[in-house]
Amino acid sequence: MAAPSLEPARPATLRLAFSPDIASAREVSVAIRNFLAEQGVAEKELFSYELCIAEASNNAVEYAEGPCRKLKPIAEALFTPTQIELRVTDHTAGFDLMEKIPPPPPMTDRGRGLFLIQSVMDEVRYLRGTNENILVMRKKRRTARTAVAAAGHDPGNPPSLEASHRLLAEIRVKMARMSDELLLRSETLASVFRCCAELGHIDTNTEIFEGKLLVDLLHLTSADWYVLRTLSPDGRKLQVAAASEPDLVSDPIDLPAAGGRPVGIEATVASSQTPTRFDIRESIDLSEPLRAVGPVGAGHVCPLCFGGTLVGTIAVGRRNGDFPLGRLQDEVIWAFAEFLAIQALSHRRKKTEVHSRVVARELEIARDIQHLLLPRALPQLPGFGLVGGWQSAREVGGDFYDAIALEGESLLLMIADVMGKGVPAALFATTMRGLLRGLAERSSDPSQLLSGLNRLLYKELSSVAMFITAQIVLVDLQARQLTAASAGHCPPIFIPAGRRRASTLPIRGLPLGVMPHTAYPHQTARMGSPAALLLYTDGLTDTRNSAGITYGQQRLNEWMQEQTIPGRSAMELRDRLASDLNLFRGDAEMDDDQAFLLLTEDQDGSAKRPFAAPHHFKLRHSPALFPLSS
Amino acid sequence: MKIESNGDSLCVSEIQELTAVTSASFRDGVGYAINATTSVIEIDLAQTRFMDSSGLGALFALYRATSKRDGLVLRLLNPVPEIEQLLELTQMQQLFEIVRR
Repeated sequence: MAAPSLEPARPATLRLAFSPDIASAREVSVAIRNFLAEQGVAEKELFSYELCIAEASNNAVEYAEGPCRKLKPIAEALFTPTQIELRVTDHTAGFDLMEKIPPPPPMTDRGRGLFLIQSVMDEVRYLRGTNENILVMRKKRRTARTAVAAAGHDPGNPPSLEASHRLLAEIRVKMARMSDELLLRSETLASVFRCCAELGHIDTNTEIFEGKLLVDLLHLTSADWYVLRTLSPDGRKLQVAAASEPDLVSDPIDLPAAGGRPVGIEATVASSQTPTRFDIRESIDLSEPLRAVGPVGAGHVCPLCFGGTLVGTIAVGRRNGDFPLGRLQDEVIWAFAEFLAIQALSHRRKKTEVHSRVVARELEIARDIQHLLLPRALPQLPGFGLVGGWQSAREVGGDFYDAIALEGESLLLMIADVMGKGVPAALFATTMRGLLRGLAERSSDPSQLLSGLNRLLYKELSSVAMFITAQIVLVDLQARQLTAASAGHCPPIFIPAGRRRASTLPIRGLPLGVMPHTAYPHQTARMGSPAALLLYTDGLTDTRNSAGITYGQQRLNEWMQEQTIPGRSAMELRDRLASDLNLFRGDAEMDDDQAFLLLTEDQDGSAKRPFAAPHHFKLRHSPALFPLSS
Repeated sequence: MKIESNGDSLCVSEIQELTAVTSASFRDGVGYAINATTSVIEIDLAQTRFMDSSGLGALFALYRATSKRDGLVLRLLNPVPEIEQLLELTQMQQLFEIVRR
């Protein structure tokens, strides 16, 4: 940035934090007097301002108590040609400032300080906070024009040479300040426009864009460091997104829950959405992340928010503590912060849109895959009915079933639930279905089949931390014998021979993908007549109604017992079960997919029909593996 | 700060400033210099460029310590206009004899 040709016009502000002792308070009042003298304030005025700063600083030292005695008070002076403002920040319990303090009697020992301040200043305000208060003292000054008039010159007559020189000097200062302000604002706009133009390029990287913008901000505000933090997606942390130097990158800062107290300068700014200036020497918190800028660092922290939405924070400043503070600097930082916030929100919105489109497409693909997974037609066996039921929750899951007709009036039934949703789950389901059909050509032993599936799928499943629960049941329809093995799946329900009570086969086994070499023991049982067998996923038993009650194992067992009576076809029972589950769920949302396979005997079981399998697989299993009796 | 004792008169001069920092030494210094024969105390403020309420408090303490002694005169010499205004503003000019030489 080119330096203005006229007198430099940094904001005429002096801010000094001082050690809480009387000698330091005195040094500060002398420093402020000298500062105001440099601004051209007349000698007779200087005494008043020095007096006010001295009184306020002495009070700040004298009345601080307990741990607050270690905190540094701050004295500030803000000079403009029309007003002088003095501020002293104290860390005391504070006091009630009377609107107009009466003159203390001459025979009093104390109480003159505030009276003197009110007497010499036009406006005195005391802003009270928790252990931090600010005494603001303002005095209007006569402008050059009124000064000339007050010096006894008629506006119609030419002023004296001395008055003209003074007037000219003040106008020069004013013009230099305006020129500097204009330059700064135009540089800010130029930087913003440059970045806007770059954003138009398709290949613009957001991080590069932010980096360029922040470097411009450093130049414009004479800062030598910055730390940009962004809000984490869960809104609980502020994490460093960019920093001018690697040593400024620190751990994410926790943001408090609603009503909690934020810890640290940036967290406080984010929580209050209010910008603040800081001087690290005034911070007593040793864990303050901004201590990374050095022991005397100072700067400005501004929230990045737009339309009430917080995006992050930006901190800029100087390591040696002489960061220029003033309204113009503040405004430039705010302008950059707002621009950054808008860009971040716009970028986030675009990402969300893209993500939504990807998710929608993925869902579509997964639904297509899942639709293909479920057999279009199940083997239809003479005298028996085999039906499948499947209902999807909002997201596509990995529930699926399959049935393979074997030689010798046997059926191989499988039901599985791939942990997870979407395309990955559907892909594993497809793979597993294919593998099962391949393995079933060599063996129909449920234990061997599950061991084989686990061995083949373990590497892929464990590499993506997924697993599959599955159950394989070999049904010998002639003997009404079940042989079942389970990989962490829900137990099958059947009506045992000689009983009318539904029973489950409590088989244990680890889900597929948990351990590389796992044995899957099988159990056998005899079905009663008419035969009834239900294989299902946990979506059935976990169905939850609006009162939060689950359908449960017992209810499903009772349903089997009551509904599987002679004369009801498998198809009718399938509809009844689906209807019962929906009725139970009521208005509650469906949490999980539901899938089941239901095998029933059409008649009372006394008449057997010739068996014909539509899908024929030649079995090559050893008879020893099938200890079934006819 | 310079304290000169000349018989029954005591003159305190070369006071650069009378503030919270210097008021205690001023009070103690002058307090030690006063003796039983002191009848005139002159505080020369000609070089005093700055005074705050603590400085005023130190002058008031001196007034209180000496007011009980009959006949003892306490004078403030040559205050600069700003300090004279300060004394007027706080009505403390009523307590002292202010003299210009």
